[in-house]
Amino acid sequence: MDMVSMGLLAAMGALATVAGASEDLESDVGSQSNPNSQVQLAAQVGHPHRIYNKAISGEPPSNALYAALAAVTASVLMSGYGMNAFFAIAIGAVVAAIFNGIFSVTAYMGRNTSQARFNQYVYLDVLRTHTTAIMAHAYITAFCVVSISYIMTAPWLPIQHPFPFPLVALIWGLAIGAIGSSTGDVHYGGEREFQNYIFGAGLNAANSGDIVTKAEAGLRSSIDNVWFCARFGGPVTGMAFGLTVFLDNWRTTIFDPATQGWYAVLTGIVIVILFIVYNRILEIRARKRYGPYPEYKGDIEA
Amino acid sequence: MIPPIDASMLVHIIEIVIGGLLVGIGVHFVPVGGAPAAMAQATGVGTGTVQLAAGSGLTGLLSAGLMMNYTDSIFLVVISGAVGAMIMIDATMIVGNWVYIYGVGAPLASAKANYDPITKDSQAPYVAPGTVGQGIPTVCFVSGTIGGLLGGAGGSLIYYVLLKINGDPGLSAFFAIGIFVVNAVIASYNIQGTIEGFHDPKFKRVPRAFQVCLVASLIIAIFAVLISGGH
Repeated sequence: MDMVSMGLLAAMGALATVAGASEDLESDVGSQSNPNSQVQLAAQVGHPHRIYNKAISGEPPSNALYAALAAVTASVLMSGYGMNAFFAIAIGAVVAAIFNGIFSVTAYMGRNTSQARFNQYVYLDVLRTHTTAIMAHAYITAFCVVSISYIMTAPWLPIQHPFPFPLVALIWGLAIGAIGSSTGDVHYGGEREFQNYIFGAGLNAANSGDIVTKAEAGLRSSIDNVWFCARFGGPVTGMAFGLTVFLDNWRTTIFDPATQGWYAVLTGIVIVILFIVYNRILEIRARKRYGPYPEYKGDIEA
Repeated sequence: MIPPIDASMLVHIIEIVIGGLLVGIGVHFVPVGGAPAAMAQATGVGTGTVQLAAGSGLTGLLSAGLMMNYTDSIFLVVISGAVGAMIMIDATMIVGNWVYIYGVGAPLASAKANYDPITKDSQAPYVAPGTVGQGIPTVCFVSGTIGGLLGGAGGSLIYYVLLKINGDPGLSAFFAIGIFVVNAVIASYNIQGTIEGFHDPKFKRVPRAFQVCLVASLIIAIFAVLISGGH
């Protein structure tokens, strides 16, 4: 373990935290992930809305695509034109953001025009104001993910991962999409979309599609949603991805894989056990704090 | 030209098939609730089976790839991959539970079991009305960790074998990702959307996935060995 490796590890953890947060917020502005099923349903059950609607694909494949695109562009600029890594990654991220913008616009137009029979309009002002916000978040995500991948693979830095630079970016893109879709989106789907129902439970199946369409003033747009999710869902998603990148690489930084590989594995197993114990503590605390649901009628025999 | 088939090639094919089967079975352990879980309407992680399994398994592949830079031990490489995948899936599930508990305000509960098989906690009183559970309770968490372990180990084993054959990390990793995703998709067809883990009645369908993954992995393994072997 040397100071440079620890510094780089800290930088990777910080970049991952920012990337995780911006990835989740990008999917909230665009309403991309699983909660979009309710946005899609809303117009059909009589609630036309001004919420952005871009289910391009699942988040992991789309983020893997953006990250790999940015990394390939950066890689070509660096090896073919001798460009500085920082600028090459920045330009790569711009390319990824442009692709994201194209997919977003086509997805929004396609989905909303197909719902014209349910009185769902295509709002050009929503398209204009939201698409740029989506692209900005996508740029931050791609830049951070590709920077992490570059730190892991650059031949002049200590980690020197054997996988090619774009492949590492693809894998981290997939991982960040999986994390964003599993964690932060629940805050958007479970809470923000259904704030008109009582706090403390998920969506009752009978209320499917009844999303909140009105804001504090006027009609609610996805910018309102991202404002809310940026307070909790986004930052915790960042923590999840930051933890993954940091803990996974921390083991092989403090223990030299060449001589102390088994210590790295053991550290990982200890981390996993601690996670399981912590989850149990969380579960007990939540049960004590919230108690059973009042609608519950009697215990079921085992 | 068709290359000569020798014993080592057969061993490689068998190892890749074992890796594929580990992935296929591991996916069944991952507690995924799909879109309903994203609205806290079903127990499990709020994403798709393939998405979460691939996210964790390939994070494990990164750990295994790094370890294989330094060591030749198959055990160390495979276990490294498994641990990397477990860390990713555990971090995801913990933070997912934060959102369920602090963001949505719901306690963790499974709807497929009346009592948690591990902690013996009663589940039904904590299931919100109109839903089929929410969050990732202990049994699902442990099941997910096992899923990460099997998925990470399977992906790393495939990578290890392919790298032994051709010596090119990029090519081997790409084939490993491909074989991983094929098996994960087959398993998710078997799961049909949502599964809570090893206590879920759907888990009894594993033998069917085993058979299909065996056939699929065998076919891909033959092509993977032939193509990436450079013949």
